[in-house]
Amino acid sequence: MARFSLSAVGADRPGIVAGVSGALVDLGCNLEDSTMTILHGHFAILLVVSSPEDVTSEELESAIEPVAQAFDLTVAVRPLSGSNGNDQKPDSTGGEPWTISVHGADRPGIVHAVTSALAEAQGNVVDLATHLVGEAGSPVYVMTLRATLPGGEAGEAAAEHVRSSASALGVHCTVHPDESDLF
Amino acid sequence: MAVRPVLVLPHQVLSTPAAPVGRVDDAARALAQDLLDTMSVSPSCVGLAAPQIGASLRAFVVDVTGHRKARSCHGPFVMFDPQVTRREDPESAREGCMSVPDLTGDVSRAKRLTVEGTNTDGVRYTLEVDAFEARAVQHELDHLDGLLFLDRVAGPHALFERKVYR
Repeated sequence: MARFSLSAVGADRPGIVAGVSGALVDLGCNLEDSTMTILHGHFAILLVVSSPEDVTSEELESAIEPVAQAFDLTVAVRPLSGSNGNDQKPDSTGGEPWTISVHGADRPGIVHAVTSALAEAQGNVVDLATHLVGEAGSPVYVMTLRATLPGGEAGEAAAEHVRSSASALGVHCTVHPDESDLF
Repeated sequence: MAVRPVLVLPHQVLSTPAAPVGRVDDAARALAQDLLDTMSVSPSCVGLAAPQIGASLRAFVVDVTGHRKARSCHGPFVMFDPQVTRREDPESAREGCMSVPDLTGDVSRAKRLTVEGTNTDGVRYTLEVDAFEARAVQHELDHLDGLLFLDRVAGPHALFERKVYR
């Protein structure tokens, strides 16, 4: 089994996911993890696909080409290392899960400030989404992200470091540990 | 009386609506005890439904005793053939499930609930539950209808992978 990442972006319209997934299944591939969403009117696809061992990047790109043409998508395919038939997902997420929410008046540098503070505190971003909304004259930026931080007091210190990095830019930031319960 | 294995996805019984228990007999009482025994060996587990141990019957147990988020607390209780008669005040919180060990998700549930069911003596009774206990009851009720928290999760960004199952 081989694994590839595939990214595709194009102006949003119905049929893109059906088209891309159809090309993948016709090649004998299995679509694994993915995230697909509309960003400012453009549909963005980021996915991991597994394929029979003999499929190459070039074959995958060729298989997607007709769909890319039909929908005017920019596509990039890349082989993923460590795919030696092992089904276990690589795990870079040591530490405890936290959720970070940021919102305020939009300005350049918000994502960079918060995620730099996170990296300095040995944190790792797991999932992140941002939205630019509001009126033209008063744009609002909202960022929600999940990250792993060290446990215990080190985690609290890291959370405080992230909060103050956001405050320095004049945006509101809440950082709290994720809690879930088993039923 | 036994600790039974908890079934995980993609076991079909988890997505199958369960059958009524009806008359409470020795078999039903034994099922209830198995549910209580199985729930008790996982310290972080506050509820368990019969389909999760492979019995497609409308029975569940809940015990939120000692949980920091519990307000109402009726201790460990068993309900056969439960029915919700009132639900109010939806609220979102993150749930996990022993039958879905790799994921957690944000689910909206009523904060206040009135539920009636049959106990192990075959007597019908009513509980008013709120907050954490209400969430536990609704989660278990869903199991009896063949539903998992996955069926109610708020959207793609409300579902999370977990590496360590606590």
